[in-house]
Amino acid sequence: MSILSDIPVLSILLLLPVLGLLVLLLIPKNRHRAITAVAVVATLLPIVLSLWLYTDFDKQQGGATYREDAVWLEVPVNHEWTQEADIIFSFDYSLGIDGLSLPLLLLTTVVTAMAALAAIHVKKRRKAFYAWFLLLEAGMLGVFMARDLFLFFIFFEITLVAAYFLIGIWGYYNRERTANQFLIYNGIGSALMLIAFVLLVNTAGFRMEETARGLEMIYSGSYADILRNLADPNAWVNLPGAAAGGTNPFEMSGGMAWTIFVLLLIGFGIKLPIFPFHTWMLKVHAEAPPAVVMIHSGILLKMGAYGFIRFGLLLFPEQAREWAVALATLGLINLLYGAVLAFRQTEFKLVLAYSSISHMGIVLLGLAAFNEIGLQGAIVQLVSHGFISALLFLIVGSLYERTGTTELPALGGLARSMPFMSGMLLAAGLASLGLPGLSGFVGELLSLLGLFESMRWVTAAAVLGIILTAAYMLRSVLGITFGERREEHAALRDARFVEALPMIVLLAFIVLLGCYPSVLTDTVGVSVEGFMDQLFATRSGG
Amino acid sequence: MDFYTKSAWVIPLIPLAAFLALTALGRNYRKAGVIIGTFAALASFAMSVLVLVERFGQDAVDYNYSFDWIRISGYTLEIGFEVTNLTALMLIVVTFVALLVNVYSAGYMKNDERITVFYGYISLFTFSMLGLVLSDNMLSLYIFWELVGVCSFLLVGFWYTKPAAKAAAKKAFIVTRIGDAALLIGILLLFWYMPDHALGFTMIESVFEGQGGIIATGITTVIALLIFLGAVGKSGQFPLHVWLPDAMEGPTPISALIHAATMVAAGVYLLARTFPIFEASLFASDVVAYVGGFTALFAATIALAQNDLKRVLAYSTISQLGYMFMAIGLGSWTGGIFHLFTHAFFKALLFLAAGSVIHAVHTQNIQEMGGLHARMRITTATFAVGALALAGIPPLAGFWSKDAIMAVALEQNLFLFAVGLAAALCTALYMTRVFVLVFLGKPKTGSEGGLESPTVRAGGAGGAKESPRTMTLPLVVLALAAIAAGFVETPWNGWLGGWLSGEEAVAHVSPAAIIGSIAVAAAGIYLGWRFYGSDRTRPAVVKEAAPWLARLLERKYYVDEAYEFVFVRGLRALGTLLGAFDTYIIGGLVKLAGSAAGISGKMALRLQNGSIGTYSLAAVIGMVVLAAAIIGRRLLS
Repeated sequence: MSILSDIPVLSILLLLPVLGLLVLLLIPKNRHRAITAVAVVATLLPIVLSLWLYTDFDKQQGGATYREDAVWLEVPVNHEWTQEADIIFSFDYSLGIDGLSLPLLLLTTVVTAMAALAAIHVKKRRKAFYAWFLLLEAGMLGVFMARDLFLFFIFFEITLVAAYFLIGIWGYYNRERTANQFLIYNGIGSALMLIAFVLLVNTAGFRMEETARGLEMIYSGSYADILRNLADPNAWVNLPGAAAGGTNPFEMSGGMAWTIFVLLLIGFGIKLPIFPFHTWMLKVHAEAPPAVVMIHSGILLKMGAYGFIRFGLLLFPEQAREWAVALATLGLINLLYGAVLAFRQTEFKLVLAYSSISHMGIVLLGLAAFNEIGLQGAIVQLVSHGFISALLFLIVGSLYERTGTTELPALGGLARSMPFMSGMLLAAGLASLGLPGLSGFVGELLSLLGLFESMRWVTAAAVLGIILTAAYMLRSVLGITFGERREEHAALRDARFVEALPMIVLLAFIVLLGCYPSVLTDTVGVSVEGFMDQLFATRSGG
Repeated sequence: MDFYTKSAWVIPLIPLAAFLALTALGRNYRKAGVIIGTFAALASFAMSVLVLVERFGQDAVDYNYSFDWIRISGYTLEIGFEVTNLTALMLIVVTFVALLVNVYSAGYMKNDERITVFYGYISLFTFSMLGLVLSDNMLSLYIFWELVGVCSFLLVGFWYTKPAAKAAAKKAFIVTRIGDAALLIGILLLFWYMPDHALGFTMIESVFEGQGGIIATGITTVIALLIFLGAVGKSGQFPLHVWLPDAMEGPTPISALIHAATMVAAGVYLLARTFPIFEASLFASDVVAYVGGFTALFAATIALAQNDLKRVLAYSTISQLGYMFMAIGLGSWTGGIFHLFTHAFFKALLFLAAGSVIHAVHTQNIQEMGGLHARMRITTATFAVGALALAGIPPLAGFWSKDAIMAVALEQNLFLFAVGLAAALCTALYMTRVFVLVFLGKPKTGSEGGLESPTVRAGGAGGAKESPRTMTLPLVVLALAAIAAGFVETPWNGWLGGWLSGEEAVAHVSPAAIIGSIAVAAAGIYLGWRFYGSDRTRPAVVKEAAPWLARLLERKYYVDEAYEFVFVRGLRALGTLLGAFDTYIIGGLVKLAGSAAGISGKMALRLQNGSIGTYSLAAVIGMVVLAAAIIGRRLLS
C-alpha cells in the first residue's frame, strides 16, 4: 500500500491554501514581493500533492483508500414517540476522492497556481486579493472532496463568498453590479440546492448503529448513506440495527424524488450555466479580473456540472434518464445559442463567455447520452475546457495589460509585435474549436459518440456546432493577431517569462490530454464503470 | 523482408521532429529551417523508397499495427498505421513533392523574415499528411485529416498582415470544416453500425464487400454520402470548392504541395480507402461520379476567364480532382489514384514554375506578363511540359491517366464521357491561353501594364531573370516525372491498377477514348493559339458577342456571392436576432425576477454600501436555518 494512505492527505491538501492564507496574514501589506511569493508557493504545493495523488490513485480500489471521516457535531433529538431507536443528527467531516473528483482536483490546483501567477497584474491591495484567492482555492478543493452534503454546501458557499469579493473589489468598471448579480443568481442556486439537500437528508440520509446507548438512528448528510439508500430501498435490512428489530424508516415518493431532482437540476444548472440562466456569467467574464475569470471559467463553472453529476445523475438516475431528451435539448440549445451569439460579439471576453456556454452544452450532451462513452466525454470536456479557458483568459489578461482593450475592432496584427503570445492564442483557439491532438477534440468526440447511440438527429445537429465554433473562434483570434497592426501597438512587448511560463504549462496539459487521453479516461473510467453499474442496477431494480 | 514496412511509422515522425526542433529554435536561426526541414523530408523520402521497394517483393503482405488510444469498458478507439501498396504509393508522392518543395522554398522564401516558421509549418504539414496516408482506421484518418487542414490554414495565412490572406485562411478552414462535420457524422454512424464498433479499413472492406446484409443499404448510402461530403470539402469539389482558389493567397510552394499535389487529393484517397462502401451503394457512386464530372467541367470553364495565374491553376486543380472522383464514382478507384499520382507531379510542376514566374515579375496577373520565354528558358520549358501533360498530350503522364478515366467513362456512361471530353477541351484551351499570355509574345511595358502597375515598377516582365538553381532544379526533376510517370499504366499494360488492387493487370485498349482525348486536346490547343496567339483581338470579340457569358465566368458563376448572401448574412441576421432575444427577453426576465426578489435586492443594496460581512452572515444564517429545518421537521413528524 502506498504511503499516502497512512496520512490524512486529503485534509492536508485542503489545508495547504489555508496555511498559506495564515502566513500571508502575518506579512505587512506593503511587502508585495513577499506576498506574491507566499501566495504562489501556497498554490504550487497543492499541485505537487494532487499530482502525487493522481499517480498514486489506486485504480483497483477506485479511490476508496482515501477516506477521511470524523463526526463534527451530534445533536440528539429526544423522541418520545419512537420506541425502537433514538434519533441523532450528525454533522460529519467527510472527505473522499474517486475517478470523477480526482481529475477536477488536479485541474483546480493547476489552474489556481497559474492564475496566482497571472495575478501579478493585480495592483491594488494585493495582500487582500491573495487572501481571498487562497480561501477560494480551499473552497474549491473542498467542493470536489466533500463526501457529506452539508460539508459540500459549506465549501460551495465559501467559493461563492470569496469569488464575490474578488469580483466586486478587483474587477473592472462595473464590478459591483456584476458581483451582486453573481451573488443573487448563485445565491438562488445555492438556496435550491440547500432545499434539495435538506429533503435528501430527511428522507434517505439515515443509517442505524448499535452503540452503548442502544440502537441509534442517525441522520446525516453522508453521501454514501444516501447513495446506498436511494439505490436500493431495501438496503437498510443489512444495517446492523435492522436485525435488532428496527423498522424501515425509508420513504421516498416519486413526487419527492422528482422535486429533489428538479431542484438540483436548476440549482446546479444556474452554475453550469444552462440557458436561460446564463446572463450572470457573461458579466463575470467581462468584468472580473482575468486571474479570477481563469478560475471562474476554468473551475467554478465545473462545480455546477460536477454537482449535477454527483447528486443529480448518480442519486436520481431514473429521473435523469427519463429526462435524457430534455437534457440533450438543453445541451443543444446551449451549444448552438452560445455559438451563434459568440459570433456576433465585438468584445473578446464576451466571445469567450458565450463560447463557455457553448462548450458546456457539450457536457450536457455527453451526460444525456446515458452511456459510459458519453459520461466520459462529459468529464473529459469539463477538464479540457477548464485548461483551455484558463489559458485563453491568461492571455486575455496579458493582452489587456498591454493594449488596454479587448475590443476586437480596436485590435489587429498583434502577431507582429507579440509572436509568442499570438501563437499561444491561436493554439488555445484551435484547442477550443476542437482540433485533434488538443484536448477539446477528445471531449467533443466522446460526448457526441456516446450521444449518437440514442439520439442521432440531436447529435447530427450538434456536429453543426463545430462549424460555428470554428467560425467564431477564428474570426476573433485572427481579428486580434492577423491583419494590419495598429500604430499604437507597434511598441508592445511579447510575453515576459512569468507570463509565458503558465501559458506553456497550461498548453502542455492541453496537448497531453489531446494526444494521450488515456491518462485521463483510464482514471475516470474506474468510477464511471461503477456509476454505470449503479445506473443500470437501479433501472432493473426499480 | 519487411523491416522498412514495419518501421513505416518513423516516416511521419521525422518531419514532426523537424517541426518541434524548429519551433523550439525560434525564428532567429534563418538557415536552420532550410537545413532541418529539407533533411527531414529527404530522410522521409528515402524511407518511403525503401518501403516501396519492399512492396515490390513477391511476398509483400499488408502490415498493420495499432494501439489503444482510448479504452472505455466495452469500446476501444485505436490509432494505428497500415502499409499497403496504395499507402506506399502515396508515401512516395507526398515525400517526393514535399522534398522538392523544401528545396524550392530555399530560393523562393529566401528573403522572408519568417522562413524558419515557414519550414516548421511545412514539416508539420508533411507529418500530418503522412499520418493521414498511413492511418489504418477512420478515426486516425480523421485526426490527421483535421491536422492537414489546420496546416493548410496556417500556410494560406502565412502572410498574415495581408487582409486577403487572413480572409482566405479563415475561409479555407471553415468551408472545409463543413465537409469535416459530415465526415465526422459518417464516422459516428460507422462506429455504431460496424460489428464490434470497428473503424479499421480492413474491417470496412470485409463488411461491405461481403454485404451479407450486415449494414442496410439505406444506411450504407448515408454513410457513403457523408464520407463523400467530407471529400468534397477537402478536395474542393462543387459546391464546397470556393475556398481553394482563395487559398492561392498562400506562398506558391504551398499551393504546389498542399493545394495541388497532396492535401486536396486526400479526398480522393479517402474514397479509394473506403471504396467498398461506395461499391455497396449504387446511388452514392452515381452521386460521386456526377458531382465529379460536373465539377471537372464547371471549374474548367471558370479557368478560361481568370487572369490570375495561380487561380487558373487552382480551378484547373479542382477540375482535375473532378476527373478523379468521376473515375471512382464509375467504379475505378485505381483510375482515380492513377490520375492523382500523375497529377501530383505535373500540377506541382505547374505551380512551382508559376512561382518562378511570379518570383521574377512580381505579379500574378497574366495580362501583365508576356515574352518570358527568352529570359526564363528553364521555367518556360518545364512549364510547357506541365501544360502539355495537363492538356493530355501523349506520351506525357496526364494523357495516360486521363485516358484511363475516359475509357472507363466510355464503357459505363456516355454522358459523363461527353462531359469529360468537354472539360478536356476547356483544359487544353485555358492552358494554351496561359502559356501564350505568359511566355510568348513581347514583354508588356508601361504602355500596356499601366504606369501604376507594380510589375512595371519592379522592372516588369521585360526585366525578368531566370530563378536560382534551388528553384529550377525541382522544376526539372518534376518535369521528368511529368513525362515518365504515366508509363506505369498504359492501355496496353495495366500494371499500376493490378499492383494497387492485387488483381490481375488488365489491358483496356479503347481506341475511341484515345482518339477522342487526343482530338479534343489538339482542338483545344489549336483554338487557344487562334484566340490568344495569332490574333489578340479575338477574345474581345467573344466578350462583345456574349458579354453575359464572359461576366458569368469571370465572376465564377456568382457562387461566392450567393454564399455570402445566404450563409454569412444569414448567420449574422440570426446572431442579431438571438442577440436581441438575449438582451431584451432574457435580460428583461432577469430584471423582473430581480425586482421581484425584494430580499436579494436589499441585500445587494447593503453590499454596495460596503457592508462586506453581510453575505458571510447570510451563509451562517442559512446553515442555522438548515439545522433548524431538519430538527424541526423531525420534531413535528
